[in-house]
Amino acid sequence: MSAVLTHPPAPPAQESPGLWTLAWRRLRQDTVGMVSLAVVAFFLAMMLASFTGLIAKDWARERGVSYANPSFLAGNENLEAKAMAGKQAAKAPPVDLSDIDPLAPRYKEWEERAAKIAVTETKRAETLPFGGDKWGRDVILKTIKGSEVSIFVGLSGALLAVVIGTFLGAMAGYWGGKVNDVLEWFYNVFTSIPYILLILAFAAVAQATGKFGKGILSIVLILSLTGWTGIYRLIRAEYIKHSNREYVKAAQAIGATNLSRMFHHILPNVSHVSLVQLSQYTVGFIKAEVILSFLGFGVPVDQVSWGTMLAEAQNELVIGKWWQLFAAGASMAVLVTAFSLLTDSLRDALDPKLK
Amino acid sequence: MTAYVIRRLWQMIPTIFGVILLVFFLFNWVGGDPAMVLAGKISNKEQIENIRHQLGIDQSYVYQLWVFVKQVFTFDFGRSWSTNEEVSHILLTRVGPTLTIMVPCLIIETALAVGLAIGVAYVRGTLTDRMTMMICTVAMSISFLVYIIFFQWLFGFILGWFPVQGWSESFWRNLFYYAPLPIMLAIFVGLAPELRLYRSFILDEVNQDYVRTARAKGVAEKKVMMKHVLRNALIPILTNLGILLPGIFVGSFLLEVFFSIPGLGREIITAVNRSDFPVIKAVTVYLAVFTMIINLAVDVLYKVVDPRVSFK
Amino acid sequence: MSNILEIRDLRIAFRLDRKSEPFEAVKGISFDIPTNSTVALVGESGSGKSVSAMSILGLLPDNAIIPAASTIRYGGRDLLKTTMRDLQSIRGKDISVIFQEPMTSLNPVFTVGEQIAEVLRLHMGMSPRAAAARTVELLTEVGIPNPALRVNSYPHEMSGGQQQRVMIAMAIACEPKLLIADEPTTALDVTIQKQILDLIAKLQASHHMSVLFITHDLGVVGDIADTVVVMQSGEIREQGPVKEIFEDPQHPYTKALLACRPRLDRRPVRLPVIDDFMRGDGHPHHLEERKRGTSPSDPVILEVKGLNKVFSLKEGLFGKRLVPAVKDVSFSLPKGKTLGLVGESGSGKTTVGLTLMRLHDATSGEVLFEGKDLLRLSEREMMAYRRRIQIIFQNPYASLNPRMTVGQILVEPMKIHSIGKDERDRVDMAFQLLKRVGLSEQSFYKYPHEFSGGQRQRIAIARCLTMKPDVLICDESVSALDVSVQAQVLNLLQDLQDEYGLSYIFISHDLAVVKYISDRVMVMSEGALVEMADSDEIYRHPREEYTRKLLSSIPKGYELAPQPS
Repeated sequence: MSAVLTHPPAPPAQESPGLWTLAWRRLRQDTVGMVSLAVVAFFLAMMLASFTGLIAKDWARERGVSYANPSFLAGNENLEAKAMAGKQAAKAPPVDLSDIDPLAPRYKEWEERAAKIAVTETKRAETLPFGGDKWGRDVILKTIKGSEVSIFVGLSGALLAVVIGTFLGAMAGYWGGKVNDVLEWFYNVFTSIPYILLILAFAAVAQATGKFGKGILSIVLILSLTGWTGIYRLIRAEYIKHSNREYVKAAQAIGATNLSRMFHHILPNVSHVSLVQLSQYTVGFIKAEVILSFLGFGVPVDQVSWGTMLAEAQNELVIGKWWQLFAAGASMAVLVTAFSLLTDSLRDALDPKLK
Repeated sequence: MTAYVIRRLWQMIPTIFGVILLVFFLFNWVGGDPAMVLAGKISNKEQIENIRHQLGIDQSYVYQLWVFVKQVFTFDFGRSWSTNEEVSHILLTRVGPTLTIMVPCLIIETALAVGLAIGVAYVRGTLTDRMTMMICTVAMSISFLVYIIFFQWLFGFILGWFPVQGWSESFWRNLFYYAPLPIMLAIFVGLAPELRLYRSFILDEVNQDYVRTARAKGVAEKKVMMKHVLRNALIPILTNLGILLPGIFVGSFLLEVFFSIPGLGREIITAVNRSDFPVIKAVTVYLAVFTMIINLAVDVLYKVVDPRVSFK
Repeated sequence: MSNILEIRDLRIAFRLDRKSEPFEAVKGISFDIPTNSTVALVGESGSGKSVSAMSILGLLPDNAIIPAASTIRYGGRDLLKTTMRDLQSIRGKDISVIFQEPMTSLNPVFTVGEQIAEVLRLHMGMSPRAAAARTVELLTEVGIPNPALRVNSYPHEMSGGQQQRVMIAMAIACEPKLLIADEPTTALDVTIQKQILDLIAKLQASHHMSVLFITHDLGVVGDIADTVVVMQSGEIREQGPVKEIFEDPQHPYTKALLACRPRLDRRPVRLPVIDDFMRGDGHPHHLEERKRGTSPSDPVILEVKGLNKVFSLKEGLFGKRLVPAVKDVSFSLPKGKTLGLVGESGSGKTTVGLTLMRLHDATSGEVLFEGKDLLRLSEREMMAYRRRIQIIFQNPYASLNPRMTVGQILVEPMKIHSIGKDERDRVDMAFQLLKRVGLSEQSFYKYPHEFSGGQRQRIAIARCLTMKPDVLICDESVSALDVSVQAQVLNLLQDLQDEYGLSYIFISHDLAVVKYISDRVMVMSEGALVEMADSDEIYRHPREEYTRKLLSSIPKGYELAPQPS
């Protein structure tokens, strides 16, 4: 037992697959899973591009006439735009104030000087690729920018919730005893209040006092501080199950510390659960953000999200302007479907069971 | 069993206290001085001062907590900061419309979900099964808002089958004229996730050993599903119902907002908008207590459904 | 004698996923089941025996593929080709099944009476009242006490043995011509096992039915079977009347199966293993007797005094219930010897092992190792002793961390106890150990799921050896392994003891294995020490009632097996 090998055997040519490699292989074979992954990746890329200002930077610019028709409906009448134009035209001609206005003689001079500087006053477009909203803002650009908010809130909220839930669940499941009792009490308190009500209560305080930070940060905090309970339950159950497994007892027998057992031994066996939950929660939070923004508790007025678009769309449908509803609704539907399918595929890839 | 119920009620006390603490922490501590909060919403300085005095904001936190606890147990939350209506009165009158929508919705939706889930589980793996699940996934990804906007427009505005909004004083008129569209909408949207969930419950049971025994005894597949599997799947289904039940009181606030139904959900939204803390606090605490009682009732009901459960 | 069932060229494959080839579980087997007789279908795990039996009634999962050429003839029909409707009328009536795990095989939400009555009402068209009455009769016949009361019990309210009796009652209710018993006693305690076997044999005779008995235990077979069919890897290796199989086995695999199980009457230096028969000259070697026993002058390495462990469970409104798992147990372990600890489930034997390791906290008592009481040491002081006493658990599939490579599993304890100069040194030692326990060096880079049960136990043994322990506790370490693999691991353990002078505490419910490997044997029942003596002594002259009961429950069948020369 004391001889030292001079040439230890090299690793085999074919790497032995661990959990993640195996899961990736399984996922690759799942067509639906790969397509969903591609769609989600596309949305994420779009979000990053929008975030860094590469695209949709000037979404707020009022490029089109009010309720501009989409290009493919160019021929339709746009009564609203005409009404707006009419209103502007109906303004009374400017009154000559030269008598009382001390600056009056200089106006002409300034006008001439201004005319020399080439100011491109863009003529408002009659139609936009997918139509415009009430202020003539491009629906496509709004949708892209809106995705940024929704996805960011969804992902970061989910990440925070999963981190909180996993940590607390690990504590409760591993230590048991008093720690478990306290955390269970905490959990009971949070879950005895119906979820929507809990969110609204937090939103009420956030809105009234601004103590949760401004804008997006507040929504992320609200969602994650109320949503950690589901993951907590799951992870706690997993930790209880694994703490009783023999490989953990074996680790104890060889002298591994509690910390080592919790994070070095058990966590890798449980992390796939957290990952699937992350995916699932992102979906839930995107949907929640949309509703919160719709109700006015979400993003501040100067930002756009799919929720604000739908809020505007509420009144647009009656006058026949459906493009904002469709754009926001459809993009959200595509993203959420892709994410949901991805969650299912992830679950199957990480923990395959015969159907 | 009485010992069990008593023990559970005893265990509820720390939780109720925890809820009170949480609400207090949120609204009195974080929420802070209502003067700041209400400055924009109620311009009447006198009213604000009144509220401050009523809540004893100038007093210590411990005193405020004591006041709050007293309020909870005497069912007196004072008056709404915006309408000055008595909070308890608000709660009582708004519950009716909410339940008129949610109770039929819950009953019909559950019946449909269970029925469809059995059907889909029976033909598991076939195209029907997979198509149905795909439809569910897509249906779940469209925001509730889109559904409401669209259906309100379609059925109310265009087709005129149902009123676009409104509510009346008469219960029956409400149930058959004003409620159907919201109920339909709620069922339509709620069905997909329930169906997926119940299907997974049933499939979990189908893979159990006792199902193999039943087949080995010569029981026909249909009977295996309807008798052996369903009876066992009822356990998690019942758990799920227990979780959904407290939610019916908040109701679908979105529906109430869109359809102008004077229910509890809409009341809460309005309260949140107006930072009407007394209303929100009251609703939160009472619903929490109610949830705990429902949970206890469900746990007791468990004994009927699952003989393995013993009351220790 | 006519046949009730004839299986010809049965092939069963399983479609695993769309890409890979279907997995062939059964590769063309043929055998008959005569009327009024018992056929034993014997094989280790993966032999295809259960799958073959399940195919008779079409109880295979959806992804099973059976070609048209396979036939199972019963009553003039090919069961593989009948409609589901017809099959359902045969199931439970002409042919019935009892399974291995009675707890999960019974429906938890219906009473025992309802489940038995179901089959009576379905096939015999009985009215509820008639069915209820007949149910009570059946429960009496299978030996359930207080049948009129028990009819309304739920499965979880009964013990494992009683649940199995209920399953049997359900199976014989409609007077079937063939009873398929799929490892019905494997999950039961030894004493209960004997009762169930006797019951099946009695019913077979009184009802004149045939029994297809599936098992991995040749010992059981000797007691009850008329014909034996031996399977391995989906093929039949040998079949014939039980006397022939036991007295004059032809196929090397059959010889191996018969030989590698430890016997009560001999103790070879090395247990024969399958390879002895299938390779080389076809004969096992090193069959000289090994003497075992202890003497008072043996140096003692571990001494346990008055060990007590009481579990407290919550009960009632605010109360607790105290469950004594280990009651005042005292013993000493001589250096370099093996102390066997034997008992049924609930005897407390496993708790003793876990308490010695301080994986449970003992309620009271002393564990003296080199003069120090291990139970009184602080966690820090205990670290120094942890490496000296190690444990190998029962479940090879749960005792290795699925997310760590074998290399990581072996190096971790060395790191913790600062064994080896550096990482390179530790890795070298790991390679050495892998070789020592008979695994390839490449195993270092692999994950546990790539290994079989027996190989995983070897890895677990290697893990213990990294710390160069003095005492090794084997907690049912071979109980979950196939007989042939068990023999290999037992040989390995013995080699290691001979080479390194290790002292073992060998915990098991399997009396034959314990007698083989132990110098001294302790019998436990319900937490208390019943009897302790040198192994030869205790088997030849058991003093206590319980010990005698245990010994008489061992299936005698194997005794028919001749000694390999």
